[in-house]
Amino acid sequence: MAASGGRTVGSFLWKCGNCCFNFNTVSSNLTRQVLSRQLCVSAVLHRKNLAAAGPEKFSEEFIKKQVEEFNIGKRHLANMMGEDPETFTQGDINRSIAYLFPSGLFDKKAKPLMKHPDEVFPKQRAVQWGADGRPFHFLFYTGKQSYYSLMHVSTGSLVGSRWLLKEELEELLVETISEHDYARFIQLMERLLSLPYCSVEEDFVQRYRRQLEIQSSKQQVQPLQYDQHGVAYSTGDGRRKTATGTVLLRDSGSGSISINGTNYVHYFPVLQDREQLMFPLHFMGVLGRFDMQCSVSGGGHSSQAGALRLAISRAMLSFLSEGQVETMRQAGLLTPDPRIKERKKPGQEGARRKFTWKKR
Amino acid sequence: MASTSGLRTTLSKMAASLTGLLKPWTPRVLLVRWSRYNPYYLEPEPRKEVYHIPETELTPEQKEERELKSVRPIKAATNSVTSSVFNDPVLSKFVNMMMKDGDKIIAKGIITQTLENMKRKQVEKYHKAPEGKKAEIECNPYAIFHQALENCKPVIGLASIQKGGKFYQVPIPLTDNRRRFLAMKWMITECRDNKHRRTLMYEKLSQELLAAFSKEGNVVKRKHELHKMAESNRAYAHYRWW
Repeated sequence: MAASGGRTVGSFLWKCGNCCFNFNTVSSNLTRQVLSRQLCVSAVLHRKNLAAAGPEKFSEEFIKKQVEEFNIGKRHLANMMGEDPETFTQGDINRSIAYLFPSGLFDKKAKPLMKHPDEVFPKQRAVQWGADGRPFHFLFYTGKQSYYSLMHVSTGSLVGSRWLLKEELEELLVETISEHDYARFIQLMERLLSLPYCSVEEDFVQRYRRQLEIQSSKQQVQPLQYDQHGVAYSTGDGRRKTATGTVLLRDSGSGSISINGTNYVHYFPVLQDREQLMFPLHFMGVLGRFDMQCSVSGGGHSSQAGALRLAISRAMLSFLSEGQVETMRQAGLLTPDPRIKERKKPGQEGARRKFTWKKR
Repeated sequence: MASTSGLRTTLSKMAASLTGLLKPWTPRVLLVRWSRYNPYYLEPEPRKEVYHIPETELTPEQKEERELKSVRPIKAATNSVTSSVFNDPVLSKFVNMMMKDGDKIIAKGIITQTLENMKRKQVEKYHKAPEGKKAEIECNPYAIFHQALENCKPVIGLASIQKGGKFYQVPIPLTDNRRRFLAMKWMITECRDNKHRRTLMYEKLSQELLAAFSKEGNVVKRKHELHKMAESNRAYAHYRWW
């Protein structure tokens, strides 16, 4: 009885003692925290990623000042140690600090450190929006703009290339593939390009693409010819809708145009046709430079003017540089117009007009 | 044609499917609105100033467009299009809409006379106006034409939608092309139908255009009536499903 009583008391005391002990340790922890001083204010010691936490805590000027102070301090340290300030590396700094401030502490994070401010202060984002409050990045409102923009990195320009043709793919694989197989292949490759991170597989994708030819290289430019007086001339011919025209373009002229022997004002009384003749010359800015002798037959007045325009553009190519040839092509001056009169169909009155619909 | 034979020789190495894209073609299945150009072809750009912008001032979209244009074939420029400063796409569209039986010479002549007439009237007004009011009078006939057309364009249109056996006039948004078309169409029909028989077309057009420029006249009245109808039928707006 007494023993059991003693045990309970002992256990009771032990429990009290435990509580007291706990109480003591809690109070001693508090005092320890109050009494301890943090040696270094760097956020590297903290576990949390302060950089992503909120707006910048260190302004750019502050960081710059820190960098200057660090560099000056490095030189002072080098002088102190009697070494050359120019070739004082980080390893040398660490050794000097360990020598000058010997620390008996075991925790590595508690030891004194001297590092470049970029390593000490975490990388922070500058303000993401301008003076009007509008954010710079288009993915700002996702919250994680860099992450999502990384997901959206696209492959290099796919504009100037095309997918492999079925025959070329067969050649590459040394196997016969059906049309369905080829269609499925193209479908899967397009799907691959639509996924994020597709730029990782850019090499793989480019293997199955071929560059398209530059169209202007297909233009055949005749070399310039010279007549007995040394004046440069060139010829061109064009067709439009059953009208054919040829033109002889002579350099260092006054801008006179004769068509089938008559002056162009008499031959084309309509302004629109004369404008069409002038179009290639005006576009290149050589209005008064050439003399032209044209001959044209077939078609109506508009198609004759169109045929002559094409002939003039083709004749002018010999006088122009590569870039100018490309601009003329993009203006639509060098393509022969393929539009022709649409044929009449049986069961209809014309190409489109149907016979009158009679109810009975 | 000389060009296509040249094309064929240089393209001998390429597969047949690609040469087929560069010839004048007729599509296998003839749709109602088809063209002799393969859809692979791009539209031409006849204006001079576009080609004089230096490389540095291009946006990335424009650079990509240029790259695309360098690899694709381009359609031929039409008859009515030039690089001249007097070439106006809106005016060309108006001329085409006024044209009857393909007679563009007469239509173009009427438009030229209209512009001249407008200029004459405005210059007369200018010389008669007191010094303070002279700066407000617009003498440029092209500017008057554009402004008058802007004033005639409706903002909202009506569509006939069938619901539960009845047809309702539902207000719908209009595309830019449709608005321009309606303004031009109203102008032309108004001049053809509602004027005195003996006045010439250019006289009627210049009167109506000057009235539209100062937001009077029958065409802007018609536009306002359309807007009022759309406002009154506001309750049916939810019948639109697109």
